[in-house]
Amino acid sequence: MEAIKTKIEVSNKERPPTATDRVAVFEARDLAVSYAGQPAIAGVNIDIYQRLITAIIGPSGCGKSTFLRTLNRMNDLVPSAALSGELRYRGIELYGPGVDAVEVRRRVGMVFQRPNPFHSSIYDNVAYGMRILGLKKDLDQRVEKALRSAALWDEVKDRLKDSALGLSGGQQQRLCIARAIAVEPEVILFDEPASALDPIATSAIEDLMHELKRDYTLVIVTHNMQQAARVADMTAFFGLEVEPDGSRYGVLVEYDETTKIFTNPSDPRTEGYVTGRFG
Amino acid sequence: MRELYSTELEELERLLREEGELVDRAIRGALNVLARDDVDLADELIAFDDEVDRRYLSIEQGIPSLLARQTPVAGDLRLVLAILYVNLHLERVADYCVTVAKLTKLAHGLPRDAGVLDALEEMGERCREMLSTGLEYFSARDFTDPQALIDMDRPIDRANRKLIDRLIALGPDEPRREWAMRMMLVSRCLERIGDHAVDIGEQAAYLVRGEFEEFTDASHKTPRPAP
Repeated sequence: MEAIKTKIEVSNKERPPTATDRVAVFEARDLAVSYAGQPAIAGVNIDIYQRLITAIIGPSGCGKSTFLRTLNRMNDLVPSAALSGELRYRGIELYGPGVDAVEVRRRVGMVFQRPNPFHSSIYDNVAYGMRILGLKKDLDQRVEKALRSAALWDEVKDRLKDSALGLSGGQQQRLCIARAIAVEPEVILFDEPASALDPIATSAIEDLMHELKRDYTLVIVTHNMQQAARVADMTAFFGLEVEPDGSRYGVLVEYDETTKIFTNPSDPRTEGYVTGRFG
Repeated sequence: MRELYSTELEELERLLREEGELVDRAIRGALNVLARDDVDLADELIAFDDEVDRRYLSIEQGIPSLLARQTPVAGDLRLVLAILYVNLHLERVADYCVTVAKLTKLAHGLPRDAGVLDALEEMGERCREMLSTGLEYFSARDFTDPQALIDMDRPIDRANRKLIDRLIALGPDEPRREWAMRMMLVSRCLERIGDHAVDIGEQAAYLVRGEFEEFTDASHKTPRPAP
C-alpha cells in the first residue's frame, strides 16, 4: 500500500502543470521593439510559463528572434534598438532602472543557432561562466553536473581537457547547453538550436529539452514547425503586419497550447501558416 | 503553395464523394431487391460492393501516405482524420446493403407481408436521406443544425422497434416465422445504416468546429462532448 502511495505521489509531481496552476515567468504587455526607428515587433501581450517549453514560430522577419532577445536583454547590445511597453520577469520590470543586464543574462541563458564553443577545452567551456561568477568551490562537481544535465557527460568524461572544437556539431550544441546551465539559470532561450544539426543530433537536443523542462523554463524559436509541434507545450505564432507605406513588423497573432495551434487554431492566419498554405 | 499536397487532399475527398454516391446507389439497390424479391438483382448488388471497396481501399492507402509525407496539421489534419472515419462508415453501410441482399435471397419464396415491406422501404428511404444530409454537411463544410440528422434518425429507431411487434404478430406458421426472422435482421441493418449516417454528420461537425461531439449516445440519454 505504501509503495502504491509513493508511486502516486511521484506521478503527481511528474504531471505537467494544468492551465490553472501555471506560473508566469515573463509577462509582456503591449511590448514593442524597434531598430533605428523601424518597428520590429509591436503590441505583444504574452505570458511565458514556468517549466514549460514555449515555441515561437512564424515566417522570416516576423520578429521571433527579436522577441526572444528582449527576454534576456540581448537587444541592449544593439545600439539602435529601442523598447516600449512592459516586460516583467518574476514581477520585476526587466528594463527598469537598477536592473543589471549581466545578472539578467545569468538567470536567462541562451543557446544560439550555430554551436559556438570557446577555443578552449571542454572543461573550460563549462567552467568559464562559473569562474567569472566566482563559483570556484566544487568546480569539478559543478562541471560534471552541467555536462550530465546536458546529456554529454558519458561522451566526454575521458577527454575533458581536449579542445571543444573536436566535438561533433550535435555535441558542441549540447556543450553550449551545458555552458548555459552551469551558471544555474532559471530560463534557457534557444534560437533555432537544431537548424545546423542532422536529424539524429536534432532528436538528441529535443530529448534533452524534454529533460531540462523539469528544472528550467524553456523558450525556443524555430523555423521547423514539426519541431515546435514535437517539443513545445505552448506555441506562439508571430505574423507580419504590413503598413500602407510598405513597412513591416511582427505581431503576436495567436498563443495557445501547442495541440490547439496544430489541430484547431483560432486565427485563419495561423491556420494558413501551419498548414503551409501561405507565409 | 504546396500544390501537390492540395491536389492529393482534393483527390482523397473526391474519392470519398464518389464512394458516397456509390453507397447511395447500393442502398437504393438493396431496397429494390427487397421490394421485388429479385434474386438476380441481389447478386448484382453483392458484386457491386467491389466498386465501393475499390474507393475504400484507395482512400485507406492514400491516407497513411499523405500523413507520412505531408504531415497535415490544423484544418487539413481534421479533414484527413474525418475522411478516414467517413470512409470506414461508408464501407460499413455498403456491407449492410450486401447483407440485406443476402437475407432477401435466403427469404426468397417465403410468404411475405406487404405492411412489413412498406415499413422497411420507408426506413430505407429515410436512411438515404440521412446519408445524403451527412455527406452534404461534410462537403459543404456548412454545419449549423445537427438536430436535423438526429430528428431523421429517431423515426428509423422507432420503426425498427415497431416492426418487431408486427413481425411477432405474423404468428406461428413456420415459413412466415422464418421470413419474419430474416426481415428482423434487414430492419436491424437499416437501423445501423441510420446510425452510421449520424456518425458521418458528427465527423462533419468535427471538421468545421474542431471539437468532437457525439450527437447521440447509446449508453446515455443526453449526448456528451468527448472528454
